[in-house]
Amino acid sequence: MWGAAGVALLALLETAQALIAPWRAPRTADWQAATVQLRAGFQPGDLIVAAPAWADPVMRLHAGDLLPIPIMARMDDARFGRVWVLSQRGAHAPEEAGRVQAFEARFGALTLRRFEGVAAEVTYDFLERWQDATVRRWDPVARTSSPCPWQTPASGFVCQASGNSVRRTLVEVDQRIRRALLAPPVPGGVVAVEFRAVTLGRELAVAAGLHDTWARKSPGTVCFEVWIAGQPVRSVTVDNRGGWRAFTIDTAARLGQSVPVRFQISSPQPTLRFLAFAAEARR
Amino acid sequence: MTLLLFAGVVTWLLCAEGKEGFGRDEGQYMRAAEHYWGWFEELGRNIRRGRGRLSFSAAEIDRFWSDNAPDHPVIMKTLYGLSWRAFHRCTCTGFARGLHPIRITGRHVTLPLFKRESTAFRFPAILMSGLLAALVYRFARRLVPWPAAAAGAVLAIAQPHYFFHAPIACFDAPITTMAFALGFAYWKSLRSARWGLLCGLVFGIALGVKHNAWLMPVFLAAHHLWMRRGDWRRWRPPPVPLAFVSMAVLGPLIFFLHWPWLWHHPILRTRTYLNRHLQHEHYNFEYLGRNWNLPPTDRDLKLLRLTFPFVSTGLTVPVTTLGLAVLGGLALGRRRRNQALVLDPDPPEDGLGLGLRLGLGLGAGPADDSPPPPLSPPRASWLRPGAGLDRSPGAFIAVQLFGPLAVLALPSTPIFGGVKHFMPATPYIAVAASCGLAWITSGLVEALRERSRQRFGRPDGLPPSHLDDRPDGRADALPRGRGAFAPAVILWSALICVPAVTETWRSVPDGLSHYNMIAGGFAGGASLGMNRQFWAYCVLPILDWVNGHEPENQRMYWHDVIGDALAMYKREGRLAMSVGDTGYGQPGVARSAMGLMVYERHWAMFESYIWDSYGTLKPALVRAREGVPLVIGYERPKP
Repeated sequence: MWGAAGVALLALLETAQALIAPWRAPRTADWQAATVQLRAGFQPGDLIVAAPAWADPVMRLHAGDLLPIPIMARMDDARFGRVWVLSQRGAHAPEEAGRVQAFEARFGALTLRRFEGVAAEVTYDFLERWQDATVRRWDPVARTSSPCPWQTPASGFVCQASGNSVRRTLVEVDQRIRRALLAPPVPGGVVAVEFRAVTLGRELAVAAGLHDTWARKSPGTVCFEVWIAGQPVRSVTVDNRGGWRAFTIDTAARLGQSVPVRFQISSPQPTLRFLAFAAEARR
Repeated sequence: MTLLLFAGVVTWLLCAEGKEGFGRDEGQYMRAAEHYWGWFEELGRNIRRGRGRLSFSAAEIDRFWSDNAPDHPVIMKTLYGLSWRAFHRCTCTGFARGLHPIRITGRHVTLPLFKRESTAFRFPAILMSGLLAALVYRFARRLVPWPAAAAGAVLAIAQPHYFFHAPIACFDAPITTMAFALGFAYWKSLRSARWGLLCGLVFGIALGVKHNAWLMPVFLAAHHLWMRRGDWRRWRPPPVPLAFVSMAVLGPLIFFLHWPWLWHHPILRTRTYLNRHLQHEHYNFEYLGRNWNLPPTDRDLKLLRLTFPFVSTGLTVPVTTLGLAVLGGLALGRRRRNQALVLDPDPPEDGLGLGLRLGLGLGAGPADDSPPPPLSPPRASWLRPGAGLDRSPGAFIAVQLFGPLAVLALPSTPIFGGVKHFMPATPYIAVAASCGLAWITSGLVEALRERSRQRFGRPDGLPPSHLDDRPDGRADALPRGRGAFAPAVILWSALICVPAVTETWRSVPDGLSHYNMIAGGFAGGASLGMNRQFWAYCVLPILDWVNGHEPENQRMYWHDVIGDALAMYKREGRLAMSVGDTGYGQPGVARSAMGLMVYERHWAMFESYIWDSYGTLKPALVRAREGVPLVIGYERPKP
């Protein structure tokens, strides 16, 4: 008897859920109303995100013109003081963390929220200044260093001997689009990307990962080193599983100084290891 | 009832199939099917010219039959080709003449049952799904009363992921039917030598449908070992049953005979075929927020990967069906040897079945297909290995259900097809659900009878048999007699199917993106990071958007939509003939004026090509189900 009652209740619940659920999704009118409000309060440099993240294409359909590609493909969200979240089904965005809610309004099944916090002040953006870099290929056995001269914005710095290049591009790391310097390792050598005069803040924020889902089917790790003023300060191993690996280096002792920063990339198995990285010096 | 279920399922699928687009695989199979028909056409021509043998030469066979080889055997593709030839409404000599893979020499004389060519291709798959419903009913009928068996048949079809695969011209639904047919034939072979022989035939046909069939004898052997466990305990191994001998002999023979591509190089090409599947690439597939495209090597990922078929089942099969299946498992587990599953296994005859029997001469027979009881108890032998033994239906259903799931739980097995890779397990979920339904229904009826006993004070436990027994002469709320509960039982069994049917109806045409109440539907599945779709079947609803963008659509980037699918959309007039295809990957994007992205987690890199090339991340269109994006359309901004 109780079993039958339980099954009947389950059947009722499931039928009701199947009938009601389609109506819980935000309608086009909800998105349009929310983006009217969003546009009224939007300031250049604001970040807009969807929660849950899978709604991102719908958010871009309605508010994509407010989002430049570099913001959408950002390294992280530290430099954004204001974050707009278009939320549905009670979801929250990870970008809300560490920020205070300053605004909320409901538009049907959508909720528009604005969060405010302290934006990181960037003293040196390595991606914006990527053409200032010098790229060399170091052969540790022969102890020789050969330059990889600048070619064009599309091809970047090209190492003549191995044919590989270092360039800024959109990459896919962990199935998410990022804007990064693509600097694959070379066989038997070290690729060194050096920025000669970096104005340091209190920290150097760096993120690195392997580009290309299909390339990540191949084995092999990449050694990614950060050198500041000629000294190695951090070495991380980037692998297929690591995703977009973010870390910070404390540079408070050199606050305001202009020093060389070098990123060194090497791998014992460099085939299809498309290392991509981004970095910012922050006050 | 069997015919009613068959017809109902076929009708339902025919109503739904036109909303489903063509995936990568289906487009290829339709092309191959037409090629295979081309061989028959050529054979006819050659026979008329007195050169029939020419069609059997290696060159002629390869000309037609090497399409989609060594990927899959050809029973279903041949049926798709024959069905297309027989039932399409012929416009082949019209504007789309050049889109056929074979030479069109003239207008085909056909029986134009279907408006679209694709429906004609798909029809055999639809019939196979109808057959599955019929078989599930017939098998479940051996365990439970007919209302529960009929509900089980409905629940076998009313599973959104199964239903998505059911009408398309692929092999996953047909192999599910064949796996069930083989299981059923084996079940019958336990007490019938005739079915032991037929097992080999059914197995051979199954081998000709899809490679899953090679594993089926393993699951059947597991059941046989369990059923004869007493012999093993006594160190007296039972003889190999006829069914297995028949499968071993007839299976490979039929497999070889049915596939012309094997005829001239049997060893080499069989090896090529087997290697194709033993070393199959791990395509990308999202599961619990991760993209899987390799066998995991880390221990934690191996454990997570192990859960895939079980979690996927738990999140895709309608929850009421799952609940009933769990109850069915309990009922089967509690059942003693040689005991009926439910207290009242033989309720009143189903009227419709009786009518059909009388009208069509079909014998429903007893609930069990055992021969009449002999004078002396039958003894198990290799011809009838289950004679005189309890056939352990619980163990049989368990191995048939968990066998395919266990294969997919192995971390080395590719999972890119999601549920379809272990779909032969799904009808047994429905059979278990029918057992669960029968069990709780039996309990419910018993409880109502008990109330009746108490109310009317009948010590024999039977409800009152005459209205006149009541002093006031009124009919009581409770019905009388053994069959008096029948209408309520039938209604209850029908109502229990409502949630599954509703969920399935809701899922059309995006069954792959649909997840059940536990997951939270389309949106819940997306939030859990479950796979949303594959192979670009989902673009059909946006073809009007593409058609409406002339002349930009002449330079259209189609992402994951295969050329064969585009050809079929054009042949059916769903896509304008002028619509172009700029090709694959980054060069294809660079050449395009508009394009689309089929959303799957691993395609992010391809979307970056569009952002980069078009200079915008703002889509022109997003096709979503319940807010969950499936296809994203882009237009290159005009300068």
